[in-house]
Amino acid sequence: MAGTVNRSVSWRPSALNCVTNYSFLYGAAHPHEYIERAVQLDYRAIAITDECSVAGVVRAFVAMKAVTADLTLLIGSFFVVPEVGTLIVLARNRRGYGQLCRLISLGRSRCAKGSYQVCIDDFLQGLDDCLLLWRPQEKRFSEQVTRLRQAFPERLWLAYARHYHANDRIEVRTYQHYQRISQLPVVAVDEVLYPQAERQKLHDVMTAIRHRQTITEVKAQLRPNAEHYLRSAAQLQRCYPSQWLHAADGIVAQCDFKLSELSYEYPAELVPEGLSATEHLRQLAYAGAKQRFPEGLRSDVQAKLEKELSLIAELKYEYFFLTIHDIVQFAQQCGILYQGRGSAANSVVCYCLQITAVNPDQIDVLFERFISKERDEPPDIDVDFEHQRREEVIQYIYKKYGRDRAALAATVIRYRLRSAFRDVGKALGFNEQELGHYLRQIDRRDQDTPWHAQLALLQKGLPETERGRWLLQLTEELRGFPRHLSQHVGGFVIAAGPLADLVPIEHASMADRTVIQWDKDDLETLKLIKVDVLALGMLSALRRMLQLVAEHYQRPLDLATIPTEDPKVYQMLQRADSVGVFQIESRAQMNMLPRLRPATFYDLVVQIAIVRPGPIQGDMVHPYLRRRAGEEAVTYPSEEVRQVTERTLGVPIFQEQVIKLAMVAAGFSGGEADQLRRAMANWRSTGELQQFEQRLIAGMQERGYRLDFAQRIYQQICGFGEYGFPESHSASFANLAYASAWFKYHYPAAFYCGLLNSLPMGFYSADQLIQDARRHDIAILPVDIQTSAWQHQLVPMQNGMALRLGLCLVRGLVEKQVQVLLAQRPANGFASLSALRQAGASPALLQRLAAADALKKITGHRYQSQWQTLAEQAEQLPLFATVENSIATTPQASITLAPPSEVKDLAADYRVLGASIRRHPLALLREKKLLRGVRTAAELVSCRHQQIVQVAGLVTCRQRPGTAGGVTFITLEDETGMVNVVVWQATARAQRQEYLTAKLLKVVGTVEIHGEVIHVIAGRLEDGAPLLAQLEMEGKRSRDFH
Amino acid sequence: MSQTKLWWYLHVPQLLLDEQLSLQSKAQQQQPQVLCTSDGQHRRQVVQANRAAVAGGVRLGMAEVTASTLLPDLQQRDYNEARETQVLRRLAQWLHQDIAQIALYPPQGLLLAVHDLQRMYGGYAGVQRQLQRRLRGISVQYVVAAGYSPLVARILAQSGKNVLSTEKAALQQALGQVPITQSLLPPHQQQQLQDVGIEQLGPLLALPVAELGARFGRSMLSYMAQLKGELLPPQQWYRPPLRFRERLDLLTEVASWQQLLFPLRRLLQQLEAFLQVRQLSVTELALIAHHRDKRQTFVRVAFALPLWRQRDMLQLVQLQLERQQLKTPALELSLRAEDFSAREAQHGSWLPAQQDAHAQRNEQRQLQALVGKLQARLGEQAVQQAQLAQDWRPERAQYWQASAVDEQPTATGANLPRPLWLLPEAEPINVSDWQLQWGPERLQSGWWDGQSMVRDYFIALDRWQRQGWIYRACVNEQSASNEQWYLHGWYS
Repeated sequence: MAGTVNRSVSWRPSALNCVTNYSFLYGAAHPHEYIERAVQLDYRAIAITDECSVAGVVRAFVAMKAVTADLTLLIGSFFVVPEVGTLIVLARNRRGYGQLCRLISLGRSRCAKGSYQVCIDDFLQGLDDCLLLWRPQEKRFSEQVTRLRQAFPERLWLAYARHYHANDRIEVRTYQHYQRISQLPVVAVDEVLYPQAERQKLHDVMTAIRHRQTITEVKAQLRPNAEHYLRSAAQLQRCYPSQWLHAADGIVAQCDFKLSELSYEYPAELVPEGLSATEHLRQLAYAGAKQRFPEGLRSDVQAKLEKELSLIAELKYEYFFLTIHDIVQFAQQCGILYQGRGSAANSVVCYCLQITAVNPDQIDVLFERFISKERDEPPDIDVDFEHQRREEVIQYIYKKYGRDRAALAATVIRYRLRSAFRDVGKALGFNEQELGHYLRQIDRRDQDTPWHAQLALLQKGLPETERGRWLLQLTEELRGFPRHLSQHVGGFVIAAGPLADLVPIEHASMADRTVIQWDKDDLETLKLIKVDVLALGMLSALRRMLQLVAEHYQRPLDLATIPTEDPKVYQMLQRADSVGVFQIESRAQMNMLPRLRPATFYDLVVQIAIVRPGPIQGDMVHPYLRRRAGEEAVTYPSEEVRQVTERTLGVPIFQEQVIKLAMVAAGFSGGEADQLRRAMANWRSTGELQQFEQRLIAGMQERGYRLDFAQRIYQQICGFGEYGFPESHSASFANLAYASAWFKYHYPAAFYCGLLNSLPMGFYSADQLIQDARRHDIAILPVDIQTSAWQHQLVPMQNGMALRLGLCLVRGLVEKQVQVLLAQRPANGFASLSALRQAGASPALLQRLAAADALKKITGHRYQSQWQTLAEQAEQLPLFATVENSIATTPQASITLAPPSEVKDLAADYRVLGASIRRHPLALLREKKLLRGVRTAAELVSCRHQQIVQVAGLVTCRQRPGTAGGVTFITLEDETGMVNVVVWQATARAQRQEYLTAKLLKVVGTVEIHGEVIHVIAGRLEDGAPLLAQLEMEGKRSRDFH
Repeated sequence: MSQTKLWWYLHVPQLLLDEQLSLQSKAQQQQPQVLCTSDGQHRRQVVQANRAAVAGGVRLGMAEVTASTLLPDLQQRDYNEARETQVLRRLAQWLHQDIAQIALYPPQGLLLAVHDLQRMYGGYAGVQRQLQRRLRGISVQYVVAAGYSPLVARILAQSGKNVLSTEKAALQQALGQVPITQSLLPPHQQQQLQDVGIEQLGPLLALPVAELGARFGRSMLSYMAQLKGELLPPQQWYRPPLRFRERLDLLTEVASWQQLLFPLRRLLQQLEAFLQVRQLSVTELALIAHHRDKRQTFVRVAFALPLWRQRDMLQLVQLQLERQQLKTPALELSLRAEDFSAREAQHGSWLPAQQDAHAQRNEQRQLQALVGKLQARLGEQAVQQAQLAQDWRPERAQYWQASAVDEQPTATGANLPRPLWLLPEAEPINVSDWQLQWGPERLQSGWWDGQSMVRDYFIALDRWQRQGWIYRACVNEQSASNEQWYLHGWYS
């Protein structure tokens, strides 16, 4: 029922109760859809009123920016108040908005995440700058009206809605009656749930989802018709008495508040008395510069510093820098490693304030990336802290600023294809299995065919049924709808005054955490600043490495004093010896290392950024490698392009280069480029990026660039959308990558020890790290109750440092209990099991230790240890006393069990510790002559290119990257190292079973050697399970006892 | 010859799947199919697989996702323990014809006390022949093992050892090779035993019992005693039920009663076996077709004479079903019977048999029986009852349904101003003859089942001042004036 607009009608309607999809599973419209429809229908005003929430208003505000018509956006919220009815609160001005936020926060604070509770008393005070529209709920009307009218003199209306229901007649009489007895004005206020009538279906389905039932089961809850859309003026005039309609005009006239009025006041306590914030920041920056540049500040660096300081002063960002400075000071005092990343790494001020660690000498610093006057948006400073100690930093923030002034930003969890498909499907009465079956047919990597087309192709019956068609259509409509608010990983908003004046605060699902109702995009839109306090495991590992090196090698270092540009370190990386090294340890990175051959810090910056979807999809990797190897001349299509891409040999690698190219080569304005950047950030969920394609390619062609170059740039932009990597970000990571690589080369024992103690993190498991350590000739000592600590430790041996595994490796141990035990350990260890018992070890703990083979020195081998610890349980068994009496001897070690075989020990190690320092299973197989003709990983180097070989190993990794077109990479591990196997799709299909399920895999294939990169292209796959079984049998024979 | 008293244990490792396969055509049976359970939250795994699935690489315990990746056309259904137990009960009933003492070990095992049967069947070999003959009739995979204690028989059968020896030594030897994982000990004790290197029952039996007791407690002592045949815990013997209730999963949706006759034949065969054992006959059956969304369809079939043979019952049921139509496809079929009479006492009666039953329930039952019989004679549609339902569409909110004397659903429009008398079909009217009193009430609903409607309803008076409920069907508001109007009901 798309209403055509009758322009001759001079009266313009206002919708005062629009509910968006931020009233989760209730409103069926994106906020911007109301704005767009309201413009089409020539509305005077639109009030976004979600249920006890303002989470959607910023999106509406953004949509308003594009509106040229005279449309007013009102901000409000509705509340369902038991026994009172529905109350719609509208903010009259900034003050009223603050009051509304506080009311929402109050209602939310009473309940767990996601719900709220309010009563009439909450509305009686503190809302004197708000207007109240009331849909009363019969019964106690006269009593309630007296109270509400007192609290809202001249600001209270009865809100009548008519949606052509059966009881309209009764309703209208009731409102007339109310009006007579209360003298309150009545205003016509539609309850708008969607912009157009067609959305009724989605709304019905959302109702079913909310009730967790099928649509046929919730029929009673559905609205009887589709009348909850934005109606045209003519439709409204047919529906309501004109006096009631015109009452809305008086309401709109009273409201004058725009979200842009919100301004953010930073915490003031960071500046000492007598100084201005600008002066204080300048002092701190110069003090820091002295430390950072002990030889004195170079003039060009100083000029940059000055330029930054004046820009910061001009844009009034001093407090923001001071806030972060304060937080990192705290971390420094506590010895918590941290590092700023993101665009902040472009700032000399951040470097001097010790927020970031990227020396501006090392990369080309682009301060404009960080703060720019024309972009006029808050700077983005993310600081990573040690993951195991980030909580201390968070607690510091709460303590320093108080819980009413600091809260986490929200993350809006949205419907994605799978969740939307499942929820819509269940509402339509499909069962889980059917839906799972359909979903499995969808290849989400197939970007050419939309998901519904894929399904329609493979499941021909589906679109032929009514239900099937609705499933496809409504899933697509539901996609992208917000589902609930979650907490941002670490984005804090800190304010000068109570935060609840600015935005409502609600509980997060995590105890003691509070979140605001806006996410990072909303904050960015309103130019509010958040501080990202993130967790990074590698920082924990690096701090441990620094401590170990100081303690065991007497070499005190910090991140800034690690010697830079060490050629030995780079040589190691060129050999792809990078297990455990930050960011460049993945299989794809390892393949790139010998090809890119990083030799300088900047090479590392490129290395980190190049193995990403952006450069890969843009097909920029090979041109860069060829140019770097001197196989292709470095040329530039134009001088402008040269300026942007000279650092990377004319090939754009980083996100900002691509954006810059859009400007210089396609003629994008600064504003357009910025839109492009935002679109890249969320194109996965909105598909916003397509609109730029035409513009970009045409722009580049007009300026004389080749079509294929332009298309590649666009592809790269799409790739960045998945995971963009700006140069500054890459540089921050390169710092940590270099530091960890430096430790790996110079202090490998400390390196592995630091990593192992910081698990879980990174790419590799404890076992894989331990295997790598052994291949680097680090002596590893087993877990042992007599010598191990909770954590892994370094122990000096005759020929260097050995790594003693800690008890933390044993699954199922509780640290506290173990620490109690270790505190009582005599210098020469526990004398017996009973000594352990006396020290407080429970039988269960003893059994875990025995299972881990950590009691060897006390009770002998694993079986014997476990047999004896089992006896310790005796006294705990109920009803056993009588049986014990009947046994003459006490059950102590009266039986000697045969020791386990090597294979059994190995299996038990993996079960209990998840790692083993015994011989590799492949070594055992080889010893038993079960691997005739199979080469080791180490032997592959000496093979010919294209030689047919057999390899075998434990499957440690199966990867099918989206960028690799159907190829699977399988990593096999044997006793000498890793074998990289490439399985083409056809091979994988033909040998599905082996490909999918084998734990030990034998592969016959062709060796491909390119420089130092070695692959085996799989021809035939063979499941190694029978080999393992044979090994088991061998084990059995040696273990029988009598 | 050893005089040891023996038990047999019948283990049926994929009873539910076998049952489902037996209902399928040969071609269908060749399709790979599995039954799956979910462990905890998300991971679904295969628990039963047919031959075709196994040939395709599917293994028990495999993740369902892996299995269906291996075989994209793999059919997979939910495993249902309660259903399997029901099938097991039926199996017990089937074997009860020959074996008096059967203990149920749900969902996949039966313990058979065979010692006393030797005389009747001529030794264990005779018992074995009789058992095999019975089992041949139904296609079910099974393992039977003997044991000198119920536990031993059960362990041997469940670990897949088909040993029916009468020699204790042979059984002991087989038992010794059973891995600890098949020992039926609690999982944590199995792990503890493996942790000390005990992988099979043989080495466990070799250990001093006192040592074991000291470590594993009383339950282990009792277990060891049973394993050695020193302790024989009493069994709960199966007693056949006195009512007959069977339910069959049809696996596909079946659209007509005619097609249901084949599975029905099976159910009646089971009924015959049931009646045969007890020397009973039956005069009334209930057939229930279960549908996906709709309420189930009941059909009561009463016989003029008590019957017990499958072919007699089938004939009469068939006759009565010919008049019936299945309105929606059925997924499952049940057969129930509970009023039995001894075969001698045969006197046909037109009214329900039990005259002296509890008076309260009787009235309801009589009504049901009367309705049922009327329906059986006149056809289901001939006896109808007014119903209210949750739907905005008037035709569906208030409708006549084939009668089932049952609970009343709550309805959407319970207190809406709806006319008492809704016309079965709306009549076109000339709106100029009517004077609109109130409206519109706009009803737009039902998009999900292809029966959507958009109508504006009005309350209006006709020339004779009768109050009627009229509507116009809308496509959109603008064209409303050209729309046809209809009368849908009367208020007075």
